[in-house]
Amino acid sequence: MEEWKPNPAVKPHKKRSWYLAWKYKLMNQRALRKLCQTGAVLFLLVTVIVNIKLILDTRRAAYEEEEESAQDYDDEMLNVEVPRHPVNNKKVLDVEVYSSRSKVYVAVDGTTVLEDEAREQGRGIHVIVLNQATGHVMAKRVFDTYSPHEDEAMVLFLNMVARGRILIFTIKDEGSFHLKDTAKNVLKSLGSQVAPFLSWRDMWTFVGKKGGEVYGEKHAKSPALSTWGDPVLLKTEVHLTSVEDAECHWPDTELNRRRKRFCSKVEGYGSVCSCKDPTPIEFNPDPLKDNKVFDVPVAVIAGNRPNYLYRMLRSLLSAQGVNPQMITVFIDGYYEEPMDVVELFGLSGIQHTPISIKNARVSQHYKASLTATFNLFPDAKFAVVLEEDLDISVDFFSFLSQSIHLLEEDESLYCISAWNDQGYEHTAEDPSLLYRVETMPGLGWVLRKSLYKDELEPKWPTPEKLWDWDMWMRMPEQRKGRECIIPDISRSYHFGIVGLNMNGYFHEAYFKKHKFNTVPNVQLKNVESLRKDAYETEIHRLLGEAEVLDHSKNPCEDSFVPDTEGKVYVMFIRMEQEADFTTWTQLAKCLHIWDLDVRGNHKGLWRLFRKKNHFLVVGVPSSPYSSKKPSSVTPIYLEPPAKEEGAVAVPAVAAAEQT
Amino acid sequence: FLSFQNGAAFSKVRGSQSGQDSTRWHVVRKFLGLISSHNIPVYLIDPLILGLVDKDIEQIRSSPDGPSPQCKYFCAPRDFTTFALLDKTWKHEVGLFRTAEKMGFQWLKILNKDPRLDGMDDLSGMEIPLHYIFKLASHAIHVVVFYERNGNYLWHGPLRLKHHMDRKFVPFRKLHFGRYPGAYEKPELLHVSIDDLKVQIPKNPSGFLEEMSHSRFLECRYREARAFFQLYPDDASLDAVEFRKKAKSLLHLAALTLNNLGVKFWLSSGTCLGWYRQCNVIPHSKDVDLGIFIRDYKAEIIPAFQKAGLPLKHKFGKVEDSLELSFQGEDDVKLDIFFFYEEDDHIWNGGTQAKSGKKFKYLFPKFTLCWTEFVELKVHVPCETLQYVEANYGPEWKVPVKTWDWKSSPSNVQDNGVWPIDEWDNVIQIY
Repeated sequence: MEEWKPNPAVKPHKKRSWYLAWKYKLMNQRALRKLCQTGAVLFLLVTVIVNIKLILDTRRAAYEEEEESAQDYDDEMLNVEVPRHPVNNKKVLDVEVYSSRSKVYVAVDGTTVLEDEAREQGRGIHVIVLNQATGHVMAKRVFDTYSPHEDEAMVLFLNMVARGRILIFTIKDEGSFHLKDTAKNVLKSLGSQVAPFLSWRDMWTFVGKKGGEVYGEKHAKSPALSTWGDPVLLKTEVHLTSVEDAECHWPDTELNRRRKRFCSKVEGYGSVCSCKDPTPIEFNPDPLKDNKVFDVPVAVIAGNRPNYLYRMLRSLLSAQGVNPQMITVFIDGYYEEPMDVVELFGLSGIQHTPISIKNARVSQHYKASLTATFNLFPDAKFAVVLEEDLDISVDFFSFLSQSIHLLEEDESLYCISAWNDQGYEHTAEDPSLLYRVETMPGLGWVLRKSLYKDELEPKWPTPEKLWDWDMWMRMPEQRKGRECIIPDISRSYHFGIVGLNMNGYFHEAYFKKHKFNTVPNVQLKNVESLRKDAYETEIHRLLGEAEVLDHSKNPCEDSFVPDTEGKVYVMFIRMEQEADFTTWTQLAKCLHIWDLDVRGNHKGLWRLFRKKNHFLVVGVPSSPYSSKKPSSVTPIYLEPPAKEEGAVAVPAVAAAEQT
Repeated sequence: FLSFQNGAAFSKVRGSQSGQDSTRWHVVRKFLGLISSHNIPVYLIDPLILGLVDKDIEQIRSSPDGPSPQCKYFCAPRDFTTFALLDKTWKHEVGLFRTAEKMGFQWLKILNKDPRLDGMDDLSGMEIPLHYIFKLASHAIHVVVFYERNGNYLWHGPLRLKHHMDRKFVPFRKLHFGRYPGAYEKPELLHVSIDDLKVQIPKNPSGFLEEMSHSRFLECRYREARAFFQLYPDDASLDAVEFRKKAKSLLHLAALTLNNLGVKFWLSSGTCLGWYRQCNVIPHSKDVDLGIFIRDYKAEIIPAFQKAGLPLKHKFGKVEDSLELSFQGEDDVKLDIFFFYEEDDHIWNGGTQAKSGKKFKYLFPKFTLCWTEFVELKVHVPCETLQYVEANYGPEWKVPVKTWDWKSSPSNVQDNGVWPIDEWDNVIQIY
């Protein structure tokens, strides 16, 4: 983790460059005396600035450390890459496991493979899986079983670990509060005698072989509610087996060789490493007829969330019309496990030395990845940009193949995106329907090379700007009034729960209920009507056909929309000028759709579905479609609630979330 | 594919002609069988064979399937035959090598890092195959892998052996490709049958051979450029972004214009320094500088630029002495073209001060030209770039300078007298 922090090495560099610039000036100027004076003043100034910057940086760094989001893009402390344990042909491993309130560690043959003494972090049960033949660390997890549901995740994980692996457990701080019987029974079945009786603030260590012997267990009971059990240190020996015994005997094929390499290194991927019936790692989905995106490179932007990447690549490689040769996975950092996943699927992976921190780090990684993509595929006119926490719809490439010509021909387009910000289970209906929207949704999208090379790349935010790349792309200076094409039903699904800007609550509220297309080969409807002028004709036709809803009713109520199907309804809301989203935001809130910033609009018009009817919302008088409002109708105005605690805080933090 | 009888026929031929050897023919035939069974399109780039083929090109073109009366091309005893393989036309697969082994080939794969990942970002990917060698009996097939790069050209890598490799696998020093990396245009190919072997060759073999003779490629020094930007952070202002954009499009337009005329040019002065020092246009440089050897001068240059929308701004000197052209690009960006005069032990270009008629001379050590990639363009730079840049900017070239006087700042400037007054109308033209 130290390496990825606001690099202390950077500051001396900056000082140095100032110094050099100053020194250089000295040599070049004639009026030395005058310069000495200015130089001295300058030096003082520089020193002051550098110092202030130093102080600020330190404070910022300290502040960041305090922040809740321990699960960062760089996965912080817990997943620091550990040197794999040396083999040395030794038959016995010395294992040391320590459990205490504030610190845990595990050492294998004297090498520390886990050490966590960070404050306010890493609470719960730490689990390490070792290869029984080599002693290599295959997986490291921590389950905060003080909190609910974490024990279920632990059970899931333990069930996935292959028989014969060596499992090491240790508790930091507290690991029993939400450790339910199911989990205790699983631990018991592994041979633990203490697990069924683990209680509040007990310390516990355990080493055993899955489905085999127990190498040791130590436990210290907490004497009282307010105190912790004494630290325990377990020292034991583990006998290694032969490599033969630790491997599955799959038929010797190219695919299985990749599988073998993968399965001997990492754990926690379930049936892909099953000896009996391993899940396939090659998918051969149907090719697409007349695939217009077969030669379009696909950049998968990844950090250190290998399990996510695994899930993502599976869905990507299962999508019809996928061309694995065009896929490149860009990993932000020199993490081994994501690279193992990439190699398992026979794809090409590229690692990027991280620059800067947090959002800026992600932005720099995006830039490096996009630049490299167009270098690797110099013929490409487009690139598909994906992220490691997305599921890809089976007709993702079919969707793009049918629409990509628009991006090539219609200069008023900014992107094609697979994601509809407003496409929730209860608001999206038609897999063949496309929209034009003024916002850039991201989450699986197509970028035009000329846009990147001529406009974005030259002025991409520099590393010191802590900006979100997607927020930057949405700014008017970049978007320049252009629009994106999106489907009504998303062709990607955002499953990431941990990540920069992401947490469980946020995911539950805004992403979980997103609709995701599962129908193959959807024929998109009326694609040509998505062109700039044709779309206006289409909207006018739609509004002409739409039935005006009863504006005396409450638009938040279900009864606002009649119990019909397949009809088109329109409502008018108050929108004084282009940037007046007061009523829209309230409406979005009560409809339980994206309300953290404005998404999915086209000239003051929103399109979604309610009760299987197409539902149009027009902002009056700002929208050019206001003319469609019958004079008898008064646009609905919804008042923003008086500022309340909590409710306001989330949007403020989360405005930048959606990537 | 080809029947064995043909081979047998050549064996007989060989008996009657000294210095002929059918081993090579057989190995090539086997190799072509191997790669066609894996659907891998290769084309012949062996300079010795292409040289022979070029002499008979009319005949070969007119009868692409005609039988050969004798083994003319593939029977000269050589250690190697060289083929090219376009990376994007095949999928790296292990099957090929297994089949090759079954056929009796020994093979060697030379991997190295992917230069397309080199850049201002620190990326590292898997190594890519740059060369393959398939050896059978006393003959070896050298397959050079070509990659498409940004700037619409093909690139092949150098052949460097790693320490564990068998240095005696083949006489590496005799290989025609691999001493340096190389850059090529995408060739048009021709299916032909020579010596009863169906192969693809570049449509214009002599053109290819000409290209080959000066194909050496230099990578930009990204690592040093990164270090430079550590020391002197890049100018990210809107003006800088705008200037770079204009300079890039001006350079693209100039390259297009000169390439259409067939005039060889290279990055000179500030533009060359920008490439060498920071792999980018220097934002405060205000113009784009190109060099052209005076022997390559064509009268069409001025009208061609004017036609391309770049009016002539000034013309100093004359073809015989100190010629220098300047064209007006978009807004304030101008294109300066300096003509270089070759002497026995140095090369120089001239300068003229308009108001005084003073002449200047800028001296450079002799240099040759290499290809490089710059702002998505395949362009020439002096191969001996360091000497070139140092001659121009002195040992302090690494330090950015914002005020530059072309008459006094360059370290290689010499006074060169004054233009005679009666010549001024001709040698000092300002528009």
